[in-house]
Amino acid sequence: MAFTWFHKLGSPPYAYALAARLTPWFGWTAALLIAAGLYGGLVLAPPDYQQREAFRIIYVHAPSAWMSLMIYSTLAISAAVGLIWRIKVCHAIAASCAPIGASFAVAALATGSLWGKPMWGTYWEWDPRLTSELILLFLYLGYMALRSAIDEVVRADRASAVLAIVGIVNVPIIHYSVEWWHSLHQTATVMKLAKPAMPPAMLIPLLMMLLGFTLMFFALLLVRLRAEILRRERSARWIREALPA
Amino acid sequence: MMEFLRMGGYAAYVWPAYGITFAIVILNIVRARRALAQAQKEARRRLAVDSRP
Repeated sequence: MAFTWFHKLGSPPYAYALAARLTPWFGWTAALLIAAGLYGGLVLAPPDYQQREAFRIIYVHAPSAWMSLMIYSTLAISAAVGLIWRIKVCHAIAASCAPIGASFAVAALATGSLWGKPMWGTYWEWDPRLTSELILLFLYLGYMALRSAIDEVVRADRASAVLAIVGIVNVPIIHYSVEWWHSLHQTATVMKLAKPAMPPAMLIPLLMMLLGFTLMFFALLLVRLRAEILRRERSARWIREALPA
Repeated sequence: MMEFLRMGGYAAYVWPAYGITFAIVILNIVRARRALAQAQKEARRRLAVDSRP
């Protein structure tokens, strides 16, 4: 009986209605956090003692990189749950994640490149962190290409789920690449067990940006999920009630 | 203000990084909303076809 909420979430009409109700809460909270994080990061935080003002790129680079990894994990886990328990909504979540995650992988690579030039003297290097992040972008693109190549939704869901699950091996590789191999990239600033390597005036805006971007992802995902559910449930009777005339 | 925009000489790297990121954020918002509007339009069209006598 404790699992009835889970069954409810798996029902397309319920998921559609809940997504519509939650979107503005996530969206506006995200907007406020990002606005505050930007002000804190660009204006209030002091310049870094080594990287001076260039370090401020961290406030867009780290959230973008975090998004690319967190969204891929969400995608792969929902695809796995969808594959194992045959829950349609989970496949719809996985499919909705892909374009969002791919766009933030591009943002992470582009902002990292713009940070690399003044700090390392090059826009690009075949470095473990950079290369594994590029592979993540290709995984997203491969996932989307595979889905669009298969017309039948159920088969597209299953085949792309397998690709997504195999690809998740890349996520810890990206995260630990800076420790396992010699990398130009600096090691973790926030995502580690020890004390973060930043004073609060630098760290708090970064945490606000990370949380703001995460909530923005939920808002984007919920909007895309509704589109995906409508596309899959074309003939269902509940759609008539869910759509205002 | 000019001092802020100069970013200590790193303006050519800092501002494009922010510009690209927020362009991608805005693109995501526009594309998600467009996908939903498109799917709703499609669903309405199908409902109209189905309910014809």
